[in-house]
Amino acid sequence: MSEDKKGMEAQELDDARREFLKHMGIAAGAVALASAPDAEAAVFQEWFQTHYELMSEQEKQEAIARLETRYSEEFGKKTTVSNAPALPGVLFGYALNIQKCIGCRTCVHACVEENNQSRYDPEIQWIKVLKMEKGNFSFSPDKLDKGYPESERLGDYGLQVGGNAYNSVGVSSETERYYEPETVPEDDSFYMPVQCHQCEKPPCVKVCPVRATFRDPSGVVVIDYNWCIGCRMCQLACPYEARRFNWGEPNLPKEEMNPKTHYYGNRPRMKGVMEKCTFCLQRTREGRNPACMEACPVGARKFGNLLDPQSEIRLILATKKVFRYKEEFNTYPKFFYFMD
Amino acid sequence: MGKEIKEKVDVSKRMLFRSAVAIVGAVTTAGVAKTVVDASKDSADQNIKARYAKEALQQERAMLQKKFVVMSEDEKKQMLDEILNSHHKQTA
Repeated sequence: MSEDKKGMEAQELDDARREFLKHMGIAAGAVALASAPDAEAAVFQEWFQTHYELMSEQEKQEAIARLETRYSEEFGKKTTVSNAPALPGVLFGYALNIQKCIGCRTCVHACVEENNQSRYDPEIQWIKVLKMEKGNFSFSPDKLDKGYPESERLGDYGLQVGGNAYNSVGVSSETERYYEPETVPEDDSFYMPVQCHQCEKPPCVKVCPVRATFRDPSGVVVIDYNWCIGCRMCQLACPYEARRFNWGEPNLPKEEMNPKTHYYGNRPRMKGVMEKCTFCLQRTREGRNPACMEACPVGARKFGNLLDPQSEIRLILATKKVFRYKEEFNTYPKFFYFMD
Repeated sequence: MGKEIKEKVDVSKRMLFRSAVAIVGAVTTAGVAKTVVDASKDSADQNIKARYAKEALQQERAMLQKKFVVMSEDEKKQMLDEILNSHHKQTA
């Protein structure tokens, strides 16, 4: 046998061995992936999913199924992730009567329970209740239909400031947020809960470099948690301190997890993503009210459709004394404060 | 004959010692590794807490010196018109 022939045979043998090893490797990989727990496989696949709004209907269903599998395994209970679309012909608005609010924080705790927020180290709360001293709670009723400059000179849209611009009803620098009284309400105090204002012109949306946060057709600003890169630009841009960042893995005990979730709403978040109030999207897209509104023991919270002239929220805007928080930013929040 | 048996015993004793040393070494290494990992985890937890606290402070500062002003009727009308107009616009 010549040296060349021997060399060729050896080469063929090497190739066959290489092919065999390659196939063995592929088979081993496939077996490993198939035998991995479903939840781990789901996490692996989530890394490669695109923005939810850009997915095909089939991809969306697959993503939802993956999440349901993962949450069900992780929390030991059957978890549903809804992808119900925004209701047609609806623009949500919220109004809060600061004269009625007693600062009991029932809304805060209802929100935490409903929306699967981290329970400890720290407890993440989407609503903050500010306590303010009464005293400068005044305005001039004569100036409610006046503003500067005079509307006659520039038309109905020329107002820069309202007639009460120099009679503020409160100043936020004089607020206290860690109050712990034995009973509420305290004398000489009023309370102002602050949460996401669902701005019609939201600065948080403008600054998001990947469009992970956007305004849905019903006016609610939502976040695709799987697309969020955790840059926190939105948090810096928000003037209402409404956004919370998960610096660590959220601590959500299995027994306290709410298994009825929505993709853009209260599904459990992960480390390194932003979260915020969504007006309880998982409820409102099914025609229910937000949890904070249902929990309020004094009926200070009102919620409704701004497109319906007969809705309670529109009647409040038409008939009550209303103020917006930080109106000078022109963010056009759809969360209003009012007084009787 | 007796010398061969003694050598065999020595060899098996040596193997036993070697295994024991290897096991002790492995256990020690695992212990040290766990201590290092735990220490870094504690320090990471502290960092996370500090970050949450810092963030809360920053947000408190953002709320300072804002006045709440009751809107005039015209302002309310303008606001509602702007919100409804904006809602019906198709924006990029």
